Formats: sequence, structure tokens, C-alpha cells
Amino acid sequence: MDVTANSPVALAERRLAWLDTRQRLLSQNVANADTPGYRPSDAVPFPSVLQRSRASAAMVTTDARHLAPSQASLLAVREHRVAERTPNGNAVSLDEQAVRIAETDQAHALAMGLHRKYVGLFRTALGR
Amino acid sequence: MDLDRALSISAAGMSAQSTRLRVVAENIANRDSTGQSPGAEPYRRKTVSFGNRLDRNLGTETVRVSQIGRDQRDFPERFEPGHPAADARGYVKTPNVDSLLENMDMREANRSYSANLAVLETTRGMLMRAIETLR
Repeated sequence: MDVTANSPVALAERRLAWLDTRQRLLSQNVANADTPGYRPSDAVPFPSVLQRSRASAAMVTTDARHLAPSQASLLAVREHRVAERTPNGNAVSLDEQAVRIAETDQAHALAMGLHRKYVGLFRTALGR
Repeated sequence: MDLDRALSISAAGMSAQSTRLRVVAENIANRDSTGQSPGAEPYRRKTVSFGNRLDRNLGTETVRVSQIGRDQRDFPERFEPGHPAADARGYVKTPNVDSLLENMDMREANRSYSANLAVLETTRGMLMRAIETLR
């Protein structure tokens, strides 16, 4: 078992970080459900975040004074295609957000379970 | 941490909705508040506007009540010559509060408040699950 970047534990951690960000964005959308002109945003899909961080074209720091590239390039994207828009320009659909929040919650439980199982394997190997 | 921020965002949403509910309550309570002297203006309906603001402490965008304004619609008039606020023609200006509108606003505030509360609960569940792994 390796504890490198591609191990299940590391992968679960990244997934959890992504889910945290997504939950923040979704709660932002719900909080702004009555704000005029507000357009909902969502996180960049996880597979593409994973792909991007694995690509060799990732930014590197060649000088100590450079700012480190944000580790998880979890960019929020404003949605272009929205299901509906109220007369005041708000485009948040509470039902849709509720579905996404449920998805996030479920995925969080799964990733957490995976993480716990693998850490349990290490524990067993260490004899604790 | 993002989940903490999510909690604060939901809390900000709830507080914005409760401000809105407070204004609705003010409007309904003052539905019959007319002036005291002839020709005086009665209670003018208050309105709430929300805005998406950057919270610098939190480092993320939350929602806030951006402005409590006044409804500029004309006041309806009622014929009541004996009223202290009646003008020369015997008409009294009454507040421009529409109970149907206020009722709808109240329901919307209620619904949005519940939505924020549900998100808060979900976020809390996620946090608790994360804390559980420490045991």
C-alpha cells in the first residue's frame, strides 16, 4: 500500500475537500435565493479538477517569493444555463439546490466511509 | 474551513430572512396607522432588499439586507370626515400596506428560512461525520 498522491486515502481527502467547497457554494446559492440578479454557482466537476491537478502543465514555483498555486484548484463557476429566472433576475431554483445538497451529503458520507475503512486497514497492520 | 463558512453563510441567510420577517411584521402592525393632524401622512410601507456581499472576515460571499426602503406608492384614501386626520374634503389617507402582498412576502421568507435551516442541518451532519473519524 502506498501513501502517495494516488492512494485511496489521499483520493478520499481530495474528494472531501472538493465536497466541502461545493457545500459552501450551494449554501451560498440557497442563502441568496431571494437576492435580485443573483446567479447560482457550482464547483467545477470533480473529475476535471482531478485531471487538472494531475496534468504536468500544473503551475510551479521557481522562486521562493512566488505565490504557491492554490493546491486544490476548486474554481466556482457561475451557471450559464439556468432552469428558471424570476422577474427580479434571480435564477436560484431551491429544488435543484436541494437535490445537489443531498448529493453532496451522500458523497461526503461515502468518502468519509472509504477514508475510515482505509485508515482502519493501517491500524490493523500496525496491530492496534 | 469550507464547512464552517457554509454554516456562517446559512446563518447569514437566516438572519437576512428574519430581518425581512421583522419588516413584514412592522408593516402589518402598522396597517391602520393613520396621521394625527389633518392631511398628515400615514405609515408608509417598508421594503427590504437583499444583496450578495463579500464578507471580508469570512473571505466568501454571503447575503445581507442591503437596504430597507420605503414603498413610494400612493396612499389609498377613505371617506371619514370625523377622523382627526381627515382633510378638507373629508378623506383620510391610509397606509399603503397590502395585506395580501405582506402575506406572500411572509410565506416566502418562511420558505427561504426553512431552506437555509435545512442546508445548515446537512452541513452540520457533514461536520459531525468528519469529527466522528477522530474517535
